[in-house]
Amino acid sequence: MSLRIGVEPRARPALPVRLGVPIASLAAAGLVGAVVIVISGANPLDAYQTMLDSSLKGWRPLTRTLVLATPLILTGLAAAVAFRMKVWNIGAEGQLYMGAIAAAGLAVALPSGTPKVLMLLVILVAGAVAGALWAGLAALPKAYFNTNEVITTLMLNFVALYFMNYLIFGSVSFWRDPQATFPQGKIIPEAALLPIISHRLHYGLLIALGAALVLWWSLRGTTWGFELRTIGDSPAASRYAGMSVRGKILSVLALSGALAGLAGAIEVSGVLKTLDPRAIATELGFTGIVVAAVARLNPLGVVPVAVLLGAVVASGTNLQTIGIEAEIVFLLQGLIFLFVASGEFFLSNRLVFSRPASAVGSA
Amino acid sequence: MAAVGETILEVRDLNKAFYGVAANDRVNFDLRAGEVHGLLGENGAGKSTLCSVLAGLYRPDSGEVRLDGQPVSLRSPHEAAEHGIGMVYQHFRLVPSLTVAENLVLGLKRQGFRLTLRAVQNRVAAIAEEYGLTVHPDSYVWQLSVGEQQRVEILKQLYRGARILILDEPTAVLAPHECEKLYEVVRHMAQQDHSVVLVSHKMEEILGHTDRVTVLRLGRNAGTVNTAETDAASLAAMMIGAEHMPEAGEHALRRFDDAPAVLSVANLEVVGDRGVTAVDGASIEVRRGQIVGVAGVAGNGQRELQEAIAGLRAISGGSIRLGERDITSASPRERSAAGLAYVPEDRLGTGLASGLTLEENLVLKSYREAPHSRWGVLSSRAIASTARDLAEGFDVRGARSQMAVSLMSGGNLQKAILARELTRTHDVLVAASPTRGLDLAATAAVRTHIRAETAHGRGVLLFSEDLAEITELADLIVVMSRGRIVGSYTPETLDIAELGLLMTGAQDQTAGPAESAAESQAGDPAGSPAG
Repeated sequence: MSLRIGVEPRARPALPVRLGVPIASLAAAGLVGAVVIVISGANPLDAYQTMLDSSLKGWRPLTRTLVLATPLILTGLAAAVAFRMKVWNIGAEGQLYMGAIAAAGLAVALPSGTPKVLMLLVILVAGAVAGALWAGLAALPKAYFNTNEVITTLMLNFVALYFMNYLIFGSVSFWRDPQATFPQGKIIPEAALLPIISHRLHYGLLIALGAALVLWWSLRGTTWGFELRTIGDSPAASRYAGMSVRGKILSVLALSGALAGLAGAIEVSGVLKTLDPRAIATELGFTGIVVAAVARLNPLGVVPVAVLLGAVVASGTNLQTIGIEAEIVFLLQGLIFLFVASGEFFLSNRLVFSRPASAVGSA
Repeated sequence: MAAVGETILEVRDLNKAFYGVAANDRVNFDLRAGEVHGLLGENGAGKSTLCSVLAGLYRPDSGEVRLDGQPVSLRSPHEAAEHGIGMVYQHFRLVPSLTVAENLVLGLKRQGFRLTLRAVQNRVAAIAEEYGLTVHPDSYVWQLSVGEQQRVEILKQLYRGARILILDEPTAVLAPHECEKLYEVVRHMAQQDHSVVLVSHKMEEILGHTDRVTVLRLGRNAGTVNTAETDAASLAAMMIGAEHMPEAGEHALRRFDDAPAVLSVANLEVVGDRGVTAVDGASIEVRRGQIVGVAGVAGNGQRELQEAIAGLRAISGGSIRLGERDITSASPRERSAAGLAYVPEDRLGTGLASGLTLEENLVLKSYREAPHSRWGVLSSRAIASTARDLAEGFDVRGARSQMAVSLMSGGNLQKAILARELTRTHDVLVAASPTRGLDLAATAAVRTHIRAETAHGRGVLLFSEDLAEITELADLIVVMSRGRIVGSYTPETLDIAELGLLMTGAQDQTAGPAESAAESQAGDPAGSPAG
């Protein structure tokens, strides 16, 4: 008698399962990563030790991790809020660029004597608005003609990227510093810089944490969030209940774009101090999708996941000292996504072991 | 017209149950070579289950299938195909982006790595010629009309060597002129000694295009007769079991002539999902305190009519009034606010959001109103308290659990929907198959709630495929067939046999005198009336 392994869907899993599956997935990613590290000729334990040292051990590495995590929290939220309604905004990357462009532009356009509070308010809001508008370019055709937002948002990423490159490398635009020998953006004034908490850690982290908290509450505790969850769960039931699916597509994509745009503005204001296309085009938007997926689209879950991925990126810097290419961290990132996505299967399904039923039916 | 050969397929005492509900209960069936055998029955009579067993999709719980006298086991569609049994489903299984020839070889084993489509095309052309199935093997499926796609499906089965072809309600998706073409193909196949099982609930189709008919009712055999020796009335009686129907006039007759109309649907026209007219000028009036039952075989426009009334489906003509108010172009929310309660047929997915909790589903229509929310902020305490009250009042279980409703029983879900809909201020209840799939206790509870509506002076429009339910509850029964209201009865004038004929489209009250309509269709198989 052979044992048959089947799969059956399960209800909302218990807390140990919900926590255990992601942890097991991370462990599995680490194991496979270890194999790759061995192949590249290093000791995986050393490698993981070095990574830990340079990302989480001590305050200074930790601040570096948190700086890297800040935009990931925001782009993770951007993906989570849209994905909760099954609107697949793949365009956080481009929305983030547009946010950065708007923030940098206003920062150099406004008089440098503008009060800091006002200046920061203006450029961060401008970043969010720019991201929302850019997402709106995909949201309007989605809402009115049911175009596929995966394609439109994805394509708009390239438009935004080339636009940003054009502003700095392809033209002497308002954003570009005319005095510099090599093409680069104008440095934004002191008033437009986010204040520092410690080392390089800036107050953008608190904005991101606040956004996570507000979004988490909005999804649970407001009619807006209720509608969003209902539409995401069953479009037919939401229409039956009288909800406006069209309006929700517009508002959710705008919010998603605003969060990504805010991430771009915060990167300019808190880290880069100028519109630097090379430094900002590091796939923060795409990584946000990974963050949201690993966090199971829970806004509060986005925070620790973003910190973890931030730590993975931060940990790459010292790897070269022990003879491993820093790129290994991106491989680890990919592995984490792969395993967590596979682990998702075990959260909504359980394995059942059974003996095949004795043959029934027509003899 | 009968080309009767010997028996090639026999089904003996077939039993098949789903979750303890018998779908086929000791069903017997036999098929002769070269015959067209009609399989008639209402929805849920067990036709599909029987066909699915023959097609290898379901395995019977017990019973035997014999081919050419030999017992066979049909454990997969592949095995059924190897035995020469092919089925054409209502929903075609074709790949639109491939050509006809490519679709035919799709999934065939013994196909080399290299496709030799030229040979396929030649054989397809030969088969198509032989059976009068005109389709070009090079055409892409997405370019074909529904009728042509169906021909491809038939062609696919013939190409795979089917000698027994099961057609599951093949004309449900076809325009009238395409139906004629299909019947021609069926005749051709019978002449070539193929056997065809024609599943249908259309009387004229069965009478006009089959040699024998097997009627199923509630999962059991209701009889097998030679088509030439029967008529629409006796088939309808077998199909709906008229002898078991409660006699009319059991519940107190009430008069509604003076009561104001609470819902008036006038000349409504609705286009269905397939782009075909689904509701064709239907008019219905529901008065205060009245229950109007819509009887009909599923798929005759009932769903489209309900959805149009609820505002979930665009209409192409006519008007809908709720009391004095014209709601023809109102949004679903406006209709709900104007006093329309709607219990949809599809409980999980439309009536309830399956991933939300029961609590959340109970306020699905009132979450925007105080005290459930103020300024867009939900009050979980108020929602919990409302949910508790509703659950107590309607005996709904599990209101406090955080379980997704998709895991709850059908009866519980239906009571939850009723609790939500009936406690909102409303003048009219539109309920679609409200007791389908429920156990006896839940059914009784639902019917009690529906009856109680009239005591409050509300009107009810009840859609049901269960005639017993309609005759038990309704003050006025209207019959819907092919998108039109083809007859209406009060309990006094109710004639179950006639109603059965109307339901199955064998007779049309509006088309003229009843006798001549039945006569012309029973006697003249080729001349089908305009649909």
